[in-house]
Amino acid sequence: MSVLLLQLAGPLQAWGSSARFARRTTEPAPTKSGVIGLLAAALGRDRSHDPADLAALRFGVRVDQRGVPIRDYQTAHHFETGKSMPVSERFYLADAVFIAALEGPDDLIDELHQAVRRPTYLPYLGRRSCPPSRPLDLGIREDGDIEQALKREEWRASRWHQRRHREPTVRLETIIEATADDGPVDSIRDQPLSFDPTHRRYALRGIRHGYVEVSNPAAPQPSDHDPIAVLGGE
Amino acid sequence: MTTRTIVELHAIQTVPPSNLNRDDTGTPKTAVYGGVRRARVSSQSWKRATRRAFHDLLDPSELGVRTRRVAELLAGRIRNLDGSIEETEAWALAAETVQTATGSKIEPPKRNAKGDGPAPAPESKYLMFFSARQLDGLAELAVKGRDDIKAFFKDKDNKAEAKQIANSRHSVDIALFGRMVADGADINVDAAAQVAHAISVHQVENESDYYTAVDDHKEREDDDLGAGMIGTVEFNSATLYRYAAVDVDLLSRNLGKGLREDEEATEPVRRAVEAFVQGFITSLPTGKLNTFGNHTLPDAVVVKIRSSRPISFVSAFEEPCRADQDRGGHVREASERLARYVPEIERAYGVADDAKTWVLRVGPNTTALAELGEEVSLPELVKKVGAEVAGRQSDAS
Repeated sequence: MSVLLLQLAGPLQAWGSSARFARRTTEPAPTKSGVIGLLAAALGRDRSHDPADLAALRFGVRVDQRGVPIRDYQTAHHFETGKSMPVSERFYLADAVFIAALEGPDDLIDELHQAVRRPTYLPYLGRRSCPPSRPLDLGIREDGDIEQALKREEWRASRWHQRRHREPTVRLETIIEATADDGPVDSIRDQPLSFDPTHRRYALRGIRHGYVEVSNPAAPQPSDHDPIAVLGGE
Repeated sequence: MTTRTIVELHAIQTVPPSNLNRDDTGTPKTAVYGGVRRARVSSQSWKRATRRAFHDLLDPSELGVRTRRVAELLAGRIRNLDGSIEETEAWALAAETVQTATGSKIEPPKRNAKGDGPAPAPESKYLMFFSARQLDGLAELAVKGRDDIKAFFKDKDNKAEAKQIANSRHSVDIALFGRMVADGADINVDAAAQVAHAISVHQVENESDYYTAVDDHKEREDDDLGAGMIGTVEFNSATLYRYAAVDVDLLSRNLGKGLREDEEATEPVRRAVEAFVQGFITSLPTGKLNTFGNHTLPDAVVVKIRSSRPISFVSAFEEPCRADQDRGGHVREASERLARYVPEIERAYGVADDAKTWVLRVGPNTTALAELGEEVSLPELVKKVGAEVAGRQSDAS
């Protein structure tokens, strides 16, 4: 077993789960179906290809920089007559950074890593107009599971965001796919069964919310200045 | 490993007070990036501007039409082929043919179905995107099945042919920007071009222009002295970073084997890429264009051809630029940032030798970018990118 880590950063991202028609919402963090779709596209699969092998991977996300939700109001006009068409609303996450982790058999993880480095279809963060602003691949972690990989990975938030935190460590939210040992957990309809546009289907999957502590590289370094010592304190 | 060809476009463009793309309250669109508010022009807005530019760059036969009145359009072609067909019969033939080809219902619009006038032409429920060549193919098929069109399309081969026509030899704009037919998932086309939302390299605050308009005809002394009308227009000024990538291999598959029979196999993809490069660089969304007259062109454009994956350079501007009047403002700062950032990220990710690079730039503020690649004018750029793409495509085949 090994873990593939992906960095999902960009001015805009959008991770829809149940959005249809004119109101396209986004979840606050990348969805499994969205990331699996990105990987399937990188492999060059078409939408009717059965995603079962990729869906069987265990999935986790770490929220490195939460981002800001923004609403986009979109109009369309008839190209020839200029007549306006129904308006739609699209929601995006602006300014967010996530780490997505996929755990599975070594050879499949390897293949996905290669695909992310040379994608067949160009990758985007949930919506085509949202290209990543940093390279996606952070490489493979061979020692340990998703929990360990997300715990050890350095904080990938932007420098300006890190500088806003003075403390030496920060607590980052994780959303990790539950295992059979986890007992009762939350579930969301985000387990891809088929991406076929004629019958997209998703099953429920269990998720476990948690936190990891990572160090903040922008925290002020502790200095030798110790006024208490001068006063004879301990 | 097969050769991959991806074209990347990066542009730095300054727009003075303007409102290129606004939301439902009339406010220019924005987004937060790097922790501060930025001006934003949505990707769909600039894609539409680019598509509009194609009309001056390409032959109508290479372009598509996006319309709900697809039956009316097709009926016109049917009657050109066979003048003996009456208009209403042509509508019916067209509706049945499009319905077969796309799986979408084509019906007379409900809104004016009642009333005494003649019945309106049937329409699709949403905008459909067809190339001129696809419409010609469908028209021929409709004329062939004219005697009993419903029975004609019951035949498996005829039905398959209709679908096949709708699904091949796409126009340049469909091949680049894709087609969505919500009912006929099998004739969707994946867009070969990816256009990001343009965002400003610096922080912006939207401003509001309060205006009064004088009533010229108000001349009698006892008239009130107030303004004829008052109002506000919101706007901002921005130096935008614009990014797009074209997957040339996918574009080539979408276009199919030649727009015309009598030309080289790489000709369609060359022409499409050239039109996209020219159109993306020179086009401008028309929002409030007459109010603000903000007709500008990019100060700098960097074009790269890569063989692995595209890279957006927006991170170079995550920390917002600050204009410095003594040093040359946002354009200079943005150019220097790009000139530093591009070699750095390419070295860090081992893709430094992968790209062929051209630079189009204006004025001393963009001098820093000269070192990134070969300096060219727009006509040279378009020609060189086209030639390179065509060369790589013929090597690959």
